[in-house]
Amino acid sequence: MPLLKVNQLAKNYGSVRALDGLDLTVEAGQIFGLLGPNGSGKTTLLAVLLDVIRPSGGSFLWFDNPQEVHVRQRIGALLETPNFYPYLNAEQNLSIVAAIKHVTNPPIQSLLELVQLSERRHSAYKTYSLGMKQRLALASCLVGDPDVLILDEPANGLDPEGMIEVRHIIQKIAAQGKTIIMASHLLDEVEKICSHVAIIKNGKLLATGAVGSILNRQPTVEVGAADVEKLLQLLSGHALVQKVERQGGRLALELSPGHLPSELNRVAFEHGIVLDHLVLKPRSLELEFLEITRK
Amino acid sequence: MNLPRLLLIEWKKFSPNATFRAMVVLYAASFALMLSLARLVGSNLKLTANGQSYNPTADLFTYPKNWQLLAWIGSWPNMALLGFLGVFMITLEFSNKTLRQSVIFGLTRKEVVVAKLAWVIMLALAATVFFLVLGMVGGTSGGTGLGFPSAVGLGGFFLQVVGYLLLGTLAGLLIRQTALATLLYLAYVMFLESVARWIFYFAVTKTRALLFLPEQVLSALTPLPIPESAGPMTRGLSLPLSPLEASLMALLYAGLFAVVFSNRILKSDL
Repeated sequence: MPLLKVNQLAKNYGSVRALDGLDLTVEAGQIFGLLGPNGSGKTTLLAVLLDVIRPSGGSFLWFDNPQEVHVRQRIGALLETPNFYPYLNAEQNLSIVAAIKHVTNPPIQSLLELVQLSERRHSAYKTYSLGMKQRLALASCLVGDPDVLILDEPANGLDPEGMIEVRHIIQKIAAQGKTIIMASHLLDEVEKICSHVAIIKNGKLLATGAVGSILNRQPTVEVGAADVEKLLQLLSGHALVQKVERQGGRLALELSPGHLPSELNRVAFEHGIVLDHLVLKPRSLELEFLEITRK
Repeated sequence: MNLPRLLLIEWKKFSPNATFRAMVVLYAASFALMLSLARLVGSNLKLTANGQSYNPTADLFTYPKNWQLLAWIGSWPNMALLGFLGVFMITLEFSNKTLRQSVIFGLTRKEVVVAKLAWVIMLALAATVFFLVLGMVGGTSGGTGLGFPSAVGLGGFFLQVVGYLLLGTLAGLLIRQTALATLLYLAYVMFLESVARWIFYFAVTKTRALLFLPEQVLSALTPLPIPESAGPMTRGLSLPLSPLEASLMALLYAGLFAVVFSNRILKSDL
């Protein structure tokens, strides 16, 4: 059963198409990453799904049930920067969230402990650091024990320590079996947290699927020989090689699936070429992402 | 839709806010202070005619005009302080993006509208109760006994508070910045409408319709109980607004403000 089904969703700002006929499906239990460069439409998509922005076209359905009246109570969300009443403390702000979500006895203390804010629970929100604000926002998402969490750039603006803290909290939450939809432009973050990913650019869906299948990190092989031209001639179009390009005095290539670098060495030797350089280089996520978004 | 829950949310938001508290205290204090000053000035006023001295304002401090005077005195803090409160309560939400956040947390847009309108009604009720208490405790002076204000007088005061709060709320919603929205709100109720009315009156026509502009209507709900004070322009327009006319028009304006407010919240991006 799809937890969220998005159908041809569109949002126009004048002539700018922030969302351009986007289709998406998220299944229950997935940690779903929305990946895309800044301005790709990730936040707009989430804002439409949360009803703070009106779509120009298309539709979406939560929980596969148009009759579901408690949709919003089943969703916890953090969109862009955390927004709370600056003069209220953590407890007061969370009690407002609880009232909004129809929660009569919210476990505010335990939520604040989870996000390590219990010691500052009586301090006004305006005195918090950005990391603390972000953690309070995460706690607010958990009020009412929602089935789905929507997190928009949860590590945005945090220092490395804060990013790690937030990542650990998200992983703790995910371990409870909740579905998480997380927008990010940080590839590393998505790879470390998410099980599935959708790549968005200019409001369009470029690719979607399991993280392993989309962000293919098959290593690049760098080879060198005394006669690079001859080696290039041999490998261009060879079944062993998927892609080859010259990089200075060496060749960078991708092996076809199921083949090993040692086979490359053997084939070259059989054709009278002795490799003087063979290095496996892990393919960077950035490169993978750029390739997808350039398509 | 659970109205007590929505009101509780508004209470939780605003009751701890320093500006909100200050405005409430200032409203109560200025209302009471203005009443005391009016009584002080009124009781010391002496005129002499035909060799006999008399107090021309004595009538204003006896029942039932004492309630009309009190309502007129209250119209000033209603206009300035409660109108500002209306502006502030909505711009606070926009400057902190908390209205948008409330929807993100799960409040429906319809609930946002109902919560805000219900909160305005509750504040207007509270102000009206204060008006009643102030009148009972300190609004009478000598004269013909305590008595209660008429239903029209009490309703007029309530409607006036609702009107100013909604007008302020609407200004806040449309402009979204506290300083600018407050400035424009106060400019409108204090002189922009009057200036426009005067220009229209002298340059175009002396139609009585000029009395039906929003600020005119709201102030006509609590008139100063001295007919001559209505001013040359009102005299030129033959008759001031009757309490019934003012009440009906105030209801119409309150409804209009509420509809514009609702429409904006329900249909625009937050």
